[in-house]
Amino acid sequence: MSNLFSGINARLRGTANKPGGGKIPSPLSPTEEAPLPSPSSVSQASQSSSTSLQSKLPPLPASPSLSQSIGIVGGTGEDALNSYLLPRPLPIWLNPAYAKHIVKGNFMTLSARPKTVEQGEWVAHQVVEHYRNLWNFVRVIYEKEDDGKSICNATSCPRMSAGANHSYTWLNNRFEPIELPAYEYITLMQRWISGKIDDEKIFPTDASGVSYAHNPQITTTALLTGPDEWIGKRSGFPKDFFSICQTIFLQMFRVYAHLYWAHYAEPFYHLNLEKQLNSCFSHFVLTATALDMLKPHELEPMQPLIDLWAANGTFPPESKAYEYANLKAGARLLQLGGMA
Amino acid sequence: MTSFDFPPTPNRCPDAYGPITTYNRLRCSQVAHGFFLDGKQRAKERFERQNEMAQRLEDPNLSERREQIWKHSGRLEAKYLRFLRTKEGLSNYQTIKTIGKGFFGEVRLVRKIQDGKVYALKRLVKTQMISKDQLPRVRAERDALAESDSEWVVKLYTTFQDNTSLYMLMEFLPGGDLMTMLIKYQIFSEDITRFYSAEIINAIEAVHNLGFIHRDIKPDNILLDRGGHVKLADFGLSTGFRKSHDSSYYQELLQKPPAQPDNVLRSQNRNSVNIDEISLTVSNRAQINDWRRSRRLMAYSAVGTPDYIAPELFTKQGYSFDIDWWSLGTIIYECLVGWPPFAAENPYDTYRKIVNWPHTLFFPDDVPLSPIAIHLIRSMVCNSEQRLGRNGASEIKNHPFFAGVDFSSLRNIIRAPFVPPLVSDVDTSCFPVDELPQTTTTDNNDSSSTGATGTGRVEDDQTPTPEMTLPFIGYTFKRFEKTFV
Ligand SMILES: Nc1ncnc2c1ncn2[C@@H]1O[C@H](COP(=O)(O)OP(=O)(O)OP(=O)(O)O)[C@@H](O)[C@H]1O
Ligand SMILES: [Mg+2]
Repeated sequence: MSNLFSGINARLRGTANKPGGGKIPSPLSPTEEAPLPSPSSVSQASQSSSTSLQSKLPPLPASPSLSQSIGIVGGTGEDALNSYLLPRPLPIWLNPAYAKHIVKGNFMTLSARPKTVEQGEWVAHQVVEHYRNLWNFVRVIYEKEDDGKSICNATSCPRMSAGANHSYTWLNNRFEPIELPAYEYITLMQRWISGKIDDEKIFPTDASGVSYAHNPQITTTALLTGPDEWIGKRSGFPKDFFSICQTIFLQMFRVYAHLYWAHYAEPFYHLNLEKQLNSCFSHFVLTATALDMLKPHELEPMQPLIDLWAANGTFPPESKAYEYANLKAGARLLQLGGMA
Repeated sequence: MTSFDFPPTPNRCPDAYGPITTYNRLRCSQVAHGFFLDGKQRAKERFERQNEMAQRLEDPNLSERREQIWKHSGRLEAKYLRFLRTKEGLSNYQTIKTIGKGFFGEVRLVRKIQDGKVYALKRLVKTQMISKDQLPRVRAERDALAESDSEWVVKLYTTFQDNTSLYMLMEFLPGGDLMTMLIKYQIFSEDITRFYSAEIINAIEAVHNLGFIHRDIKPDNILLDRGGHVKLADFGLSTGFRKSHDSSYYQELLQKPPAQPDNVLRSQNRNSVNIDEISLTVSNRAQINDWRRSRRLMAYSAVGTPDYIAPELFTKQGYSFDIDWWSLGTIIYECLVGWPPFAAENPYDTYRKIVNWPHTLFFPDDVPLSPIAIHLIRSMVCNSEQRLGRNGASEIKNHPFFAGVDFSSLRNIIRAPFVPPLVSDVDTSCFPVDELPQTTTTDNNDSSSTGATGTGRVEDDQTPTPEMTLPFIGYTFKRFEKTFV
C-alpha cells in the first residue's frame, strides 16, 4: 500500500455560483470530527469534514430531502435544482432521455438480503459485486491505448472532481489533504480496496466460518447487542469490518461521481454505454443506501440524478434511495426533458 | 421563464476511439449485461429457496427442527456467497494426476487446497478454439449446463479462466470412460450392452429435454460414476470447435484428399461409380488391431474420430436431435462387435464410409449377434427420416431389444455390471494415467488469475489480448450446491 494513502478527504470547491438555498446550515451532523489519519474511519472520509476548511468556504448546498424534513425549504423543484449549483446548460446525464437502463424490473430484488443470511456476509457479498461492476467501467477510461494515453489522464482530469463543486483529496502520510489527478486517485483507490477485499482477515472466504442471521422467534442465540458485538462478528468478520465497507462504498461512490461528471459523454455516451452505467450505478445507490453504507449527505454530487430516478420510477417508493430523493426536483427534471 | 436547459444532443461517435477502448466497450457492455442476467437468475433461485424454507418452518411436523432449518439455510446461503466471492484460480487446486486428455487440453484430478475436496478439472486452451462464430453457442450451452440438474450429466461446479485457458471444475467420476472399458474388454455381452445403452438413452434424453443436441456422443465422452452408472461428459462446451464437426473441414479434405486426388474428385460426384470401390474389408483382423492401438491417440488428436458422427453432420443440409441416436447406434454396434461400424485406417476413409453407409454398414459373420440387436442397430444407423428416436426416446425404449428394462429404475435401483473397485477418493485405477504425460503441481503457478476483485493488479502490464479475452466473457459460472460442506 502506498504511504500516500493514509487517509481520505474531500472538500468543497464551489465559489462560482450563488448558493440557491443559501441560508441552510450544513446537513452534516454537528458532531462531525476533524480528519483522522486512519483511512478506514468513515466520519473523516465524508465530504467537507475539516472544520477549518468549513469556516473558509461558502455554506454547503443543502441535501434537499433533509432540508425538506426540517422544513426550511418548502420550495419548488426549480428551487431545489438551484440549490445544487449545477452548471448551465445542465449535464447531459440529467436529461431524462439518457437516464435509462439496460434492465427492466425492480433492482431491489438483487440487493435484498435473504432473511437467514447474516448481515455481515451479505454486506461482504455486495461490496465485492459492486466493486467488480465499478471496475468494469473504470477500465474503459483507465486503460491505456497503444500510444500510452488513457481517456482519464492528468491533463483531462487534473483533480478527482465531481463537477465544479466537488473534488476529493487524499491525506498524505502527514495527514495533509493533497490533490491528485483522477487517474492517480483511482490507482490508489483500486490498490486500497483490493487490499481489503483480498485480505482473508477482513473478507474471509473459508466456508467453515459461516453463520446465519439471528431470528428471535426461531434461533436461541443471543441478540446483537453490547459493545462486544458487531455486524459480521459471528461470521468471522473483524470489528472494523462495517466501517471498512462504508469507506469502500464511499470511495466507489466518488469514482462513480467522477465517471458521471467528467466522463459521461466522453466516452460512455459516445460508446453507447450510458445505459449500462446507469443500471450499475442505480443498483449501487439502491444497495448502498439500503445497507446504510452511504448517508444522504454523502450522495450530494449525484443528488439531482437520484431525484430524477426517484421521479421516473427507477427507485421504488419503498427504497431508502427514494426516501433520500427530492421528488420535486426530479419531477422538474422530467418536465425539462419533456417527459413529465 | 425557465433557467435550466439541456445541451443539444451530440452525435455519438463510437469509432473515434482506439482499439483498446473499442475492445473495452464490448467487454464492458457484455459484463454489465451478464451481471444483471446472472444476478436476476441467482436472485430468483435464492427467493425460491427462501420460500421453500419458509414453508418448512410452517410445517407442524417439523416444528422441532425449525431452528435447525433456519440455521442450515443461513449457512448454506453464506457458503454460496463466499464461493461467489472467492478468488478462483489454478493456485487453489493441487494436481493429483492427469486422468484424461482431449484436443483442447487435459483433465486433471485435483484437490481443492482450502477444503481438501476432490474434483476433475478440465482445461481448454483458448488458442485452440478456432472458430469464433461458435461462441454464442458456447455461452448458451454453458448456461444450459449451469441450469441442468440432471443426474445423467456431469455436474459442473464452477468455471474460471486466465489469460491462456478456460477451466471447468467438475465432479470427479472415478469409473473412467466407456472407451477405456472397451479397450480393456474389447467386447460386451448383449446384457451388458443393454445396460449401458439403456442408461445412455436416458442420458441423451435428459440432454434433449434441456433443448440441446449433444453432437459428440462417443465412448470417451461417456463416463462412469462411483457406482458404475453412466454420465455424459460436458456436452457441447468444446465440441462445437472441433474440426471434426466442421463440415467445411471435410469439404476441404474432400478437395485435397491424402493420396488419391483423382479418386476423390470423382467421388464428389454423386453419380460416380467409384464410391463402390471403397474397401469393405473391415473385419480384417490386422486392420482392427491397428485401429485399436491408435484409438486413444485418435481421441487426443485435433481431428478426433468421426467414427460415431451421423452423415448429415458432414453435409450442409442441417441436422436435428436424432444425430445423437445415430451415434448411440454405432456405439451399440461397437460394444457387440468390437469395433465401430465405419472403422478405417484414417478419418478420411471413415468419413467416406459414413456418407456411404447403405453400402458400408455390415455385420461380420464371425461375430454372433442376435437378430433383434441387428434390427436395433439398423433402425438407428440409417437415414434420418427413418431413424428410431426421431419422435422421442420412447421409440427406442420400446424396441424389443430393451424388452423388460425398467428405464426409470436403472440408475438408482439396478446394480451396474462393473462397479469400480476403489480404494480411496483419489483412486485413478480406471484411467490410463501411465499413458498420459503427468505434470507436476508446480505447473499450477504458470498462470495468473484474476483476484476476488476481478480487476487484477492495476500495474499489471500483462493484459491479455482482446482476441483471447473478449470471446470468453460470460464463461465464468458458479453453481449453488445444496451439498456444499
Ligand atoms: N468429470 C470427470 N471425471 C473423470 N474423468 C473425466 C471427467 N471429465 C473428463 N474425464 C476424462 O477425460 C477425458 C477427456 O475429457 P472430455 O471428453 O471432457 O474432453 P475432450 O475430449 O477434450 O472434450 P470433448 O469430448 O467435449 O470434445 C474423458 O474421456 C475422461 O476419460
Ligand atoms: Mg472427449
